[in-house]
Amino acid sequence: MFFKQIRRSAARNRKGNGLYFASLIIAIIAFYTLLSLGSQDVMRFLKTIESDAVGKLLNLLPIVYGVSLFFVFFMVYFACRYQISRRRKEFGIYLMMGMKRSRLLGMLFGETLLNSVLSLVIGIPVALFLTEGISLATAKIAGLGIIGHTFAFSGTAVFWTIAGFVLVQFISMALLSVKIVRAEAGVLIQADYTKNQSVSAVGTNAAFFFGGCILLISGYYLAVFGLKGLSASMTILTVVLWILGTFLMYRGLGGFLGKSIRKSRRAKTGLWTFTARQVQENILSQHKSLAIASLLLMGAMACISFGIATGAERSSDTRSVDFSLFGTEEEIAKILSDKAISERIQSVYPLYLSDVKEQYNEGMPDEFDLSRLKEVLRQVNDAHGLGKNMADNLHIRYLVNLTSYNRILSGLGKENISLSDGEVALFTSFADEGEYGRILNRAIQKGITIGIDGEEYQVRPQLYTDNVVADRSIALSVALIVPDELYGQLAASREPYCTNAQIKDSVIKKMGLMQAELKMSELLSSAGIEYDSYLGGIGRTLFYRVASSYLTIYLGVLLWLIASTVIGLKYLISQRENMHRYQILSMIGADSEAETKSVKKQIEIYFLMAAVPALISSIFAVWAMLTNFLHIPYGTTVTEIAGLCAIVLAVFVGFEFLYIGIVKKSSGFDD
Amino acid sequence: MSNILQVKRLKKTYGKGAGRTEALRGISFDVQDGEFLGIMGPSGSGKTTLLNCIATIIRPSSGKVILKGRDIAAFRERELADYRGKRIGYLFQEFELLDNLTIGENIALPLSLHGISENEAESKIKEISDRLDIAETMDKFPSQVSGGQKQRAAAARALISDPDILLADEPTGALDSRNAKTLMEKLCDANRDQGKTILMVTHDPNAASFCSRILFIQDGCLFHELRRNVRTEENAAFYNRIVQVTAQLGGGSANVL
Repeated sequence: MFFKQIRRSAARNRKGNGLYFASLIIAIIAFYTLLSLGSQDVMRFLKTIESDAVGKLLNLLPIVYGVSLFFVFFMVYFACRYQISRRRKEFGIYLMMGMKRSRLLGMLFGETLLNSVLSLVIGIPVALFLTEGISLATAKIAGLGIIGHTFAFSGTAVFWTIAGFVLVQFISMALLSVKIVRAEAGVLIQADYTKNQSVSAVGTNAAFFFGGCILLISGYYLAVFGLKGLSASMTILTVVLWILGTFLMYRGLGGFLGKSIRKSRRAKTGLWTFTARQVQENILSQHKSLAIASLLLMGAMACISFGIATGAERSSDTRSVDFSLFGTEEEIAKILSDKAISERIQSVYPLYLSDVKEQYNEGMPDEFDLSRLKEVLRQVNDAHGLGKNMADNLHIRYLVNLTSYNRILSGLGKENISLSDGEVALFTSFADEGEYGRILNRAIQKGITIGIDGEEYQVRPQLYTDNVVADRSIALSVALIVPDELYGQLAASREPYCTNAQIKDSVIKKMGLMQAELKMSELLSSAGIEYDSYLGGIGRTLFYRVASSYLTIYLGVLLWLIASTVIGLKYLISQRENMHRYQILSMIGADSEAETKSVKKQIEIYFLMAAVPALISSIFAVWAMLTNFLHIPYGTTVTEIAGLCAIVLAVFVGFEFLYIGIVKKSSGFDD
Repeated sequence: MSNILQVKRLKKTYGKGAGRTEALRGISFDVQDGEFLGIMGPSGSGKTTLLNCIATIIRPSSGKVILKGRDIAAFRERELADYRGKRIGYLFQEFELLDNLTIGENIALPLSLHGISENEAESKIKEISDRLDIAETMDKFPSQVSGGQKQRAAAARALISDPDILLADEPTGALDSRNAKTLMEKLCDANRDQGKTILMVTHDPNAASFCSRILFIQDGCLFHELRRNVRTEENAAFYNRIVQVTAQLGGGSANVL
């Protein structure tokens, strides 16, 4: 009988409250997605080439897991509280009928257990399906469709998901059950209990409201203009102003609304006053939750915008060199004699890249004269004064020999450079970095000359950007491509910098680029030679991109789900507590259509009350992040990023309305 | 005087088969325009069911409730809302004011629901609040006023839209005797001075003594009727008669085993 009752009640909970059950499943998905990160395609791939960095990231996961556990706990707690508040009367009757409190407690925990098991049975496959989707999508976005997808099921992730979920579910239920079990039966039977409308002085409320707004605006100002130096004290001050401002603003908002209701209600008809008072009451009694939810929403929007903006970083990188081998001529010859290696290699050539001899360096203006180039750069008319900045900091320290560079171009199937007498070419690795490459290119189009050792050399009006070595993290801001003879004259070293190797196209065709590169890496590692690989370079960039964008998007989505669920549940709890008001309204002549309209309006306004301040704050948060904390990603402009953030915010608003729709449905007033 | 309300062979049954309970077994009576009618009876006699049928809170199983010539059982949703807001006023035992609205907003709500703003009804709201001695509470929330003031505010809300009939369910049930007396005097004034028709269900012989006629029901049937000679009979004398009938109704010697 007892177990039958538990089963029935648990089933009723699930049926009667989609939002509650959905919250439990969201919690499971959130945990699994995070915990299975290590076994996802992109991470598996990165682990092979950047195992240290990935290892560090994976070591960070328990902390992120702990943070998620904390936030998810709030969501599950409110979901359970909503569920229990619906059944207070029922519990009261059980107690009145003589059910022992221990048995009631047992019943509640039995139901929780049953619901947990069912949520896990549904949630884990859904989570698996979703993570597979995310994994495939990330690999595709990151351009790694060639990695080869393997189905990733992580037993450890499942274990910790279950552990985390059961923990938050049981702690929530324990806290709530204690309240229920300790309450008098009579109090429980009175299912509807309303808080009195608190009446505080209008002046106090206005002071809170305007004080909060002033603090928030100061916070916005500091975030955008005051954090340039990234000083810790300024950052803390900004965060404190931001949080305090939000709390104070919500604290005063209810009273402030009351004042405007009194003013405007006299000309209104229908349920306008009732709707406005309902909203005001919710804000008065839940200003703390609203402030928290609003801050969470702001965090969510900022995280997602930030994550997507950094994820949008795109590289026009071409695969110019697969491997750069470092070693003596003999060592390299020995490696190349290995059949497994040599049969995979298409071309091998030494790369002559060197520092300029001491005497030609800057500071010896008679020897290396860049004045013409600097003059032209200063004239470049750009908004941020970058041309002038570039001119001030321009040094040419490196030289590349023409034959080496032509080998690179040949490998790419590009036309070789032929430099005539008295001609040099300019190379940069920063072609993709914002405006740098564009400005440099514009400058050399104007037909400039560089003075070397007293002679004027014409710079070819084309900027060369194909990487000279395999590793992308080795970057040259500006280098000169010079004829071999001149190189011999100016270079500090006569030895090649490294030996570049290119894998055969047929091997790549057969194995796929990544597998071919991985196999080659293995062979080179076992041969014991020092090398850099194209894959390693990509891995490094990709790692930072994936790690920052993936984790921020994950946290953003999690925060959004939690904030929206908490707002929704908070509203539904208060609505349930005040359900009798709708009966009174019916008795005094309100038709159900008007009541439904009022409830919908209340839900919309209640959500917007949390979302609008969050939206405003998040605009400043993203602005602050993009101006103070990071550079505009390669290959993108401020307008693109702003557009992307705007799209994120619009999608966000769209999803918020979707959520509002779900809450409306759960309110029981939906048509 | 014309009949404002006619209740004809009203039946209400709950449940089916063996669990079937007849709460009303074919009650018929008329209420005249301007009458102050009381309905008394022991617990479970069906008096609240009767009031709820008239108030359209529940639908009768059979029979008719005719208000000013129209059968309310045939009303649909919109007509029902209209009926509840304009044609009847309902006074609850527990006041049932909306506790997040001020007293003034509570009183103005029925008008607002029918498209009349507070600005338009200002004089009416002022007049009724003065008459019921609650003018100074208009900007307060229900939690800030006394039980008596709450019930008078509820009465003002029930009367504000000039209903054809005021239905009151144990209106003094949650009040102390002083506040109960004040409320009954105010209802009596509304009946006498403005000709308001009132139908009141009560247990309390004190409250009932303000009525001009009382119907006693027992087990879902009309059992007895008391009429008061409004001009000659004092409240106290009528009260004594009510108590006598109540004693018989509540069991009397016949029910003693």
